[in-house]
Formats: sequence, structure tokens, C-alpha cells
Amino acid sequence: MRIRASHRAALLFAFVVASAASAADRPAVVVTRGSEQSFRVALQRFDGTLDADGFRSAIEDALVYSSLFRMIDPKAFLGPTTTPSMGVSSRIECSEWTTIGADLFVEGALRIDQADFVAEFRVWDLAGCERKLSKRYRQASTAEPNILARRIADDIVEAFTGTRGVASTELAFVSKRGGNPEIFVMGADGSNQRAATANRSINNFPSWSPGGDSIVYTSYRRDNRPMFFLSTRGRGKPGRILGKLSAMPQYRAVFGPGNEELSVVMSPNGSAELYRVRPDGSDLRRLTQNGQIDISPSWSPDGRQIAFVSDRAGSPQVYLMDRNGHGVHRLTFDGSYNTSPAWSPDGRWIAYQSRVGGQFDIWLIDPDGSVNLPLISHPRSDESPAWSPDSRKIAFSSTRRGSADIYVVDSSGDHLQRLTRSAGDDTSPAWGPYPR
Amino acid sequence: MTGTHEITIELGGLRRQEFRRFLVVSAVAHLALVAAFVLTPEPGFRVPRGVVSVELVGAPVSASLAAPAAAPRPKAPPKPAPPPIIKPKKVVLPAEPTTPKPKAVAKAAPVPKATPAPAKDYEDVLAQLRAEAGESAPSPAAPAITRAAAGPMGSPDGVAISPVVAAWLKRAKIHVRKNWVVPPGFRTQALQTVVQVNLSSSGEVRGTPKVTQRSGNPWYDEGVVRAVQKSSPLPAPPEAGAWNFVFLPEDSY
Repeated sequence: MRIRASHRAALLFAFVVASAASAADRPAVVVTRGSEQSFRVALQRFDGTLDADGFRSAIEDALVYSSLFRMIDPKAFLGPTTTPSMGVSSRIECSEWTTIGADLFVEGALRIDQADFVAEFRVWDLAGCERKLSKRYRQASTAEPNILARRIADDIVEAFTGTRGVASTELAFVSKRGGNPEIFVMGADGSNQRAATANRSINNFPSWSPGGDSIVYTSYRRDNRPMFFLSTRGRGKPGRILGKLSAMPQYRAVFGPGNEELSVVMSPNGSAELYRVRPDGSDLRRLTQNGQIDISPSWSPDGRQIAFVSDRAGSPQVYLMDRNGHGVHRLTFDGSYNTSPAWSPDGRWIAYQSRVGGQFDIWLIDPDGSVNLPLISHPRSDESPAWSPDSRKIAFSSTRRGSADIYVVDSSGDHLQRLTRSAGDDTSPAWGPYPR
Repeated sequence: MTGTHEITIELGGLRRQEFRRFLVVSAVAHLALVAAFVLTPEPGFRVPRGVVSVELVGAPVSASLAAPAAAPRPKAPPKPAPPPIIKPKKVVLPAEPTTPKPKAVAKAAPVPKATPAPAKDYEDVLAQLRAEAGESAPSPAAPAITRAAAGPMGSPDGVAISPVVAAWLKRAKIHVRKNWVVPPGFRTQALQTVVQVNLSSSGEVRGTPKVTQRSGNPWYDEGVVRAVQKSSPLPAPPEAGAWNFVFLPEDSY
């Protein structure tokens, strides 16, 4: 639809005349840089017979984990600290909550219905005193109620920011806490750490399928050669994957965004090369063709490009290419050793580790290379960045406390949090997708 | 662990707009907005609400994944001048609260965190310029964004702003800023929202602030309205009536 310039001017004039004349006559108040980064939450204890305090604090922990919410101490509440009932009444005394500085108010009920937990909650946007969200969750009572608490918190994050929170997601990582490297899984806050493999061999490079059903990893469990395996978490057949390609040593496999293909590192004749292949081993396509090392693939979220590491220029650097191996170009030029690229799910950044002095720091570069800045730095090494599915957080491994542990930090570099504290090294974090 | 349970979800009065729809129709919507103003003497325009987002039990994976992936990038906003490429330098973050290692930290050179150079406080500068313009000082070209922000609703060129008004503009800005929550992810986006606010002579916000220019991100727009509502009462304006407020996440856009 095109409008000629003269018409455009006429429309503009009409617009000015027709809009409230007084506002048009006045200069605008230009407001920049909101000084608050987080919303203040008044969260009631959910009514019910279950552990109301535990449930409340689980929601609270998950909200705080987002770095987007702050809690108001219930001691400051003017209204009730526990939701009296979740009847159909749809009005609350908003002034009771705005007076104590709350931006939002959460009320709810938690009860057992037959063999299920049922959690029901409402979220109020207090500025306009409007109900923003109302939901009911049901879950088998054999499962942990905190799963529901995290779901609720992630919903609240979404209601106020448009992007779901990640408290309900999980991370896979490699841990040597038992001596040899095994694949482990934990909650996004470090809770519930447990082993996904226990084969007493060498296991490395976990990568989630986009649906979250399985984790592909590299293991030396058979014949002491590196091969790809799946850990399916009870939702499919575990075991070998891409077995028909095992004539070549298999170093690392990374699922593409569509569940339909993987980018894999294999070694046809001594040098590591990148391939693309379907999970059943069909449609194998070689993407790099040189005698140099090409490793560490990371897909763009649209699946059209792959970031990877190559030493073709003499030192390891991050490169980009399209999904067919064409259009290869170098992305990182600062520093002599840049590896472990990780493309953010929103497509905006590629995180990578850059050697500074004798250790690594994590940097962010945008895909056209125009902005390159440090995320976080420490005299000890920070390595292997992995993005949360909302692109708001980055997990990485760090030796800042001696042996390597998994940490999480906001993509702004704030709110550093340590997730693991085991005696053995915890490395190679891989952040799983949103749960179903 | 996950997937071993079934979850039933029911949605109540959810006010979130469906985001992608706005991207698709944004150009048309802008024209429609103008047309609406042309055709109706008292513009009946208000923020469309009530699109309900529905999550289903056991929704297909692609559905749950689509939300974040498809999420929220306003269609290529004009890029700010590309920040300079920052040389790799050692940057020391505040040590972790629990157990700082003073020795190790001390060894590292304390270079300030590399962020784009702080931009000027445009509206402060603007207010000052306008005040000065009222005293017939030569008026240098205002930053492009400020002209754009004022747009058709800004002060007409050549009309001086009295020092009283300029002072109030600044006070109002500072007051509203304190009540405006901008999640970190929004700070790096070039978002601009204009709301028309009806103020009483004592600064009370009358009625619901009206979004007259959307940013393209409905949650950002909601946050702007929320900030205005929460700011009531504002410092008493020079005169009661409708005032435009332009919201930008950073000074530099």
C-alpha cells in the first residue's frame, strides 16, 4: 500500500488536528531508562491442606530465579497472607497491595483431588487492578508439588514479559563426581541432580533433542571408541544412534532445532570434520572439506546456519556457514583462541569462550560480528556457555572454586549463581528445552 | 521426571495480545490508526485486548517450543549506530558474595566493564535546549530520535517551551521513571511507545492512559501503561488535560 507524499502530509495534518488538540499543542514528556528491572510480587500462601509454606517458597524461589521479580515480605501485607478462598469472586482490594508497593498480586489454592494435586491461581496486575492470568494445573500426586510451583512461576514471568520463565527447565552436564565422566541432569536451579548414565566409561558432550525427550552424547562405553548414544529418559529406546556411521570415530553430535537432523563431528581420515545427518543415519552430508580441525557445531535457531570452530587460519576461531556448508566466513578476530560457540535461541548472540592470558572468559558476539563484548570474567577459567531457552541466562562451567562447577548468569552478566558443588569436575552444560 | 504427569490448564481473563499478529499487520495497523483519527472527531481508539492465549494439555512439542522461538523481535527496528568493537580486555566482575578471593581478584586489572559508551540524557539536553531557545539562543539540531519521538504530537517547531513547562517535563520524567519496570531483555531493543495521559490539575491520572504509538512489543506497551498508572499522582502539571509521554528503554535510541 503506497501513499503519495502529498496525501501523506494531508493525513498527517488531519491526524494532528483530529487527535486531542491539547496534547498536540504540548511538548511530550520523554521517559527513558526505567529505573526498575524487576516487578514486586505480593504472593499469598495458597489455601489448602498441603504444605502451604513449602509451596509458597517454591514459587518464590522460581520467581526470584528469573531475576525479574522481587518478593514482598508477607509481614508487610495489609491484606491476608493466605488466600481465604478461590471462589468465583473476581475482585480484590488492589489498594491494599499497591500501598505496600506491589506490582502484582498472586492468590491461589492447592488441594488434593482424588489422586491428583490441583493448583489454582490468579495473578493481578495491580496498576490497573485487572486480573491478568487465571489457571488451574493438575498433576499426579506422586510427583513433586514443586513442579507445579515452578510452572506457576514461569507462567507469571510470561504474563509480565511475554517470554516464559525457565524455572521448569533442566540442564544436562558431564560430572566426574563418581570418578569417570558421566552424563547428569538437574533442574535449572541446580536441584535434583541425578545421573543419566552410569557405565564407568567416558561420556561427554550432552545435547538435548528439541522436544526434550532425549539427550545425545558421546561415549567410549563400547570397544573403547567414541560413538553416539541416546539417553531417552524413559520416553523411547535408549542406546546407539547413527550406528551405521561408526566406521569413523564419532566425536560430537548436536541436534538441530527441528528434531529432524543433527550436526555431527566425525573423523574420516584423522582430521575432525562437520557433517549433517538425519537421526536414522540417512542423508549424510559432509559440510567441511579440509585437513584442518572443524568442531563444536551450534545451530542458529532457524536452522539455516551453523557456527563452528576451525583452526584453518592457524588458531582456533569461530566461523559461520550455512546449513549446506557454503558461505563459510570467520566471525571472531579478537584473541588467539576462541571456541565453544553457542547460538542464543532468540538468534541475537553467539556466546563463546575466549582465551585471555592463560584462562578462558565468556564473550558475546552478534552474528554479523559488529558487537563483541565480555559476558563475564574471572581470573579462573569460565568455559562452555549454554543458553537457556528464553535467552535470558547462560550456564557455563568454571574453575573459580577449584574443581569445575556449573554456574548460571543472566545474559546481562548479573546474578551469578552456582548450581553444582561436587568434588569432581562438572562441565559441558547443555540447557534443555521448555517442558511440555 | 517431566512428562510423567498430566497437567490441565485453564485460562481466565488473559489480556495479552497475540504478538505475531501485530508483526504481520503492523504496517496496515499504523495506517488504520491514522485513518481512524481522520475519520472520527473524537478518536475512539483503544488498545485492543482480549486475545486469549491458550495452552493445551499435552500440546505438541512444536507448539510449546514455538512460543519462545517465534518470540518477540520487533521487525528490524532501525539499528542504532553500531557500537565499536570492544577490544578483549580482562574485566573483573564483582566477586561472588559467598567467598571472595581477594588475592586472585587483586591480580586482575580492574578495567571497567565494557559496555557501549553511556549516551547523553537526551531529554535533559532537550529540555535545556528548549528553555534556552525560549531565550532566543541559537538552537542546534536536536538529536534525530527526539524529533521522531515528539513526532506529530510534539511541540510544533519554533514554539518555545517556558521554563516552567520544561521543569515539569523533567520532574514528570523522573517521577515516572521510578515506577517503570523494564526487564533487562527490553533494554537492548529499540522500542518506542507513546501514550496520551489525561492529567488533573493536581497530577492525578484520569482514566486509562491511551497508547497512541505502539512499540511492536505488547508487553513493553503494557509496562508503559502500568508505569503511568502506578505514577499517579504525578507532579502537578502546568495545566490539566492530555499530555503525551514517550517511552524509550535507553537514551541512545
